[in-house]
Amino acid sequence: MIFGDKKTGLIVTGATGNQGAFHIALMNEYAKSVGGRGVVAGVTPGKAGQEVHGVPVYNSVRDAMKEHDASASVLFVPGFAAGDSIMESASAGLSLVVAITEHIPVHDTMKAISFAKMNDCAVIGPNCPGLLSPGEIKMGIMPAQLFKKGHIGVISRSGTLTYEIVDELTRAGLGQSTVVGIGGDPVIGQTFTDVLARFSEDKETKAVVIIGEVGGALEEEGAKSAEIPIVAYIAGISAPPEKRMGHAGAIIEGGEGDARSKIERLKAMGVPVASRPSEVPRLIHNLI
Amino acid sequence: MKILEYEAKKVLGESGIRIPKSVLVRSPEELEASLPSLPDNLVLKAQVDVGGRGKAGGILMTGKADAVKTAKELFSREIKHVPVKEVLVEERLTITHEYYLSVAVDRSTKRALILFADAGGVEIETVAKENPGAVRRASLPLIMNDVPQFMVRDLLGNAPKELGPVINQLYHVFLKKDALLAEINPLVTTPEGVVAADAKLIVDDNALKRQGITVNRDLTDREREAERHGFSYVELDGTIGVIGNGAGLTMSTLDLIEYYGGKAANFLDVGGGAEQERVKNAVLLVASVPSVKAIVVNLLGGITRCDEVAKGIISAGISQPVIVRLAGTNEAEGRKLLSDKGYQMPDTMEQVVKAAVEMTR
Repeated sequence: MIFGDKKTGLIVTGATGNQGAFHIALMNEYAKSVGGRGVVAGVTPGKAGQEVHGVPVYNSVRDAMKEHDASASVLFVPGFAAGDSIMESASAGLSLVVAITEHIPVHDTMKAISFAKMNDCAVIGPNCPGLLSPGEIKMGIMPAQLFKKGHIGVISRSGTLTYEIVDELTRAGLGQSTVVGIGGDPVIGQTFTDVLARFSEDKETKAVVIIGEVGGALEEEGAKSAEIPIVAYIAGISAPPEKRMGHAGAIIEGGEGDARSKIERLKAMGVPVASRPSEVPRLIHNLI
Repeated sequence: MKILEYEAKKVLGESGIRIPKSVLVRSPEELEASLPSLPDNLVLKAQVDVGGRGKAGGILMTGKADAVKTAKELFSREIKHVPVKEVLVEERLTITHEYYLSVAVDRSTKRALILFADAGGVEIETVAKENPGAVRRASLPLIMNDVPQFMVRDLLGNAPKELGPVINQLYHVFLKKDALLAEINPLVTTPEGVVAADAKLIVDDNALKRQGITVNRDLTDREREAERHGFSYVELDGTIGVIGNGAGLTMSTLDLIEYYGGKAANFLDVGGGAEQERVKNAVLLVASVPSVKAIVVNLLGGITRCDEVAKGIISAGISQPVIVRLAGTNEAEGRKLLSDKGYQMPDTMEQVVKAAVEMTR
């Protein structure tokens, strides 16, 4: 697995909000089922002393880390304050921030990612469902019941489409090593390239599915760098140009980033590309 | 959101970049009233958000004597089907050379990408293709407050040094306005100095609130209504309405419709927390599009409550058929509610899409 395992302690920022509290419970339910540590502390400024589903809340990440051993945070802070929260986690010494929040202004994201990098902290997201390594750890909001332990890695710019494809893999008997949602925003921390590099070092992972969509060129950049077998699915072949398809980053701009040209470039690199989500398991079987 | 030329120029002017003397008018009569203060040679520019505005007849040269007549002509036109409601009346510049300058969010490097070209007035993509040597680029992390001087020198190359300050000023506009793109094309030299002859500014939709922008003009009326409900919505031109949760899954549903030979009428991402009222509003919104003959609902997620979704669909009570794919908690209850009312509920998204395509064929 990559990014974390049973022994990883998590901090949730934005712990006392609806989403934060709800997912603390689900993450710890998962941790309990696999014998992991899960969420050890929550953070919301001004709410120190409270508890959320038995998890103690602190005013700052720094305060939480004085009392608990943690290496990653999962962020549910609202968009306008989320960039600040990423920097707080990085500055306090965490090595990973998983930013679930949608609608963060992109300049805030860019500044926070630069700052995190200077503090040797990796950022997953923003606008992502987080990650799940079956049997080890869940950091984020993915529905655990669809997952099964195995040797396929998944990297995706999407949320529910990831679940759809994970469900197809699981039904076909193809379990997953780690599934990472890297986020639907135009600027994100960990890219296909970064996560593929981690997967190629991971002895649990034999092949990786990359799930992309219209906008940008991260899929092609990732495929070019890959040192592990990959298959791809790209959403948005029917998407019109200059229209934002739900995700802030899913937009064909200036004639660039459309699904057809992405697919052509991936195929030219020898990457098998599924034309429908249900084709992914067969392409993986062909590969391994 | 795209900012119109006159607003973008105002922003540039406030940050110290020289812009042409101008007046914005909403009718030929308004132009007549401001004639005395205007110079002899003028350009009238329709304030419409369309690409290739000049070629489409949205920019007219005129003199003071004919200005009102020319304005009447421009106000009567539609530029690529967009009526002209505002016209920017500008002094005509004496241009010695045209350049290109922009600052944009670069997704690959996660930094600002600054582009400068010795040739302006045409699209930068064209310049890059035909004369790649004329385009110079620099990459700057947003934690920098200013463009370093060495970068300014690299960008300018042999272009006049007097253009240098504009690079830093435009970078400041980019930062201050939460811009995805700030572009001056062309940036021109004149006997009076360096002037931004045109301006383009795109503001991050996620920063509109802190930029004091309350209405996103890029959206259609129905898209705006969808935004009020918290949905992502895009209008397309087919016959199958599509409701999904999550942008990727919804996009993939549209693709499958095309794969099986159908055509989607829209894209509606209902987002997280699909409770009864939200689902009802989504169904009503999609059903209100006259071309919609059938609706596909594709909802997948661990925390989606299927009974809520079912109640939402039923309470919308629309006339078009709704074909539903549901997976989540309380799935059995949701399915029972819908099947009691006679709704089609195939197991997979492929089956749902196939059924809808056949129905609308």
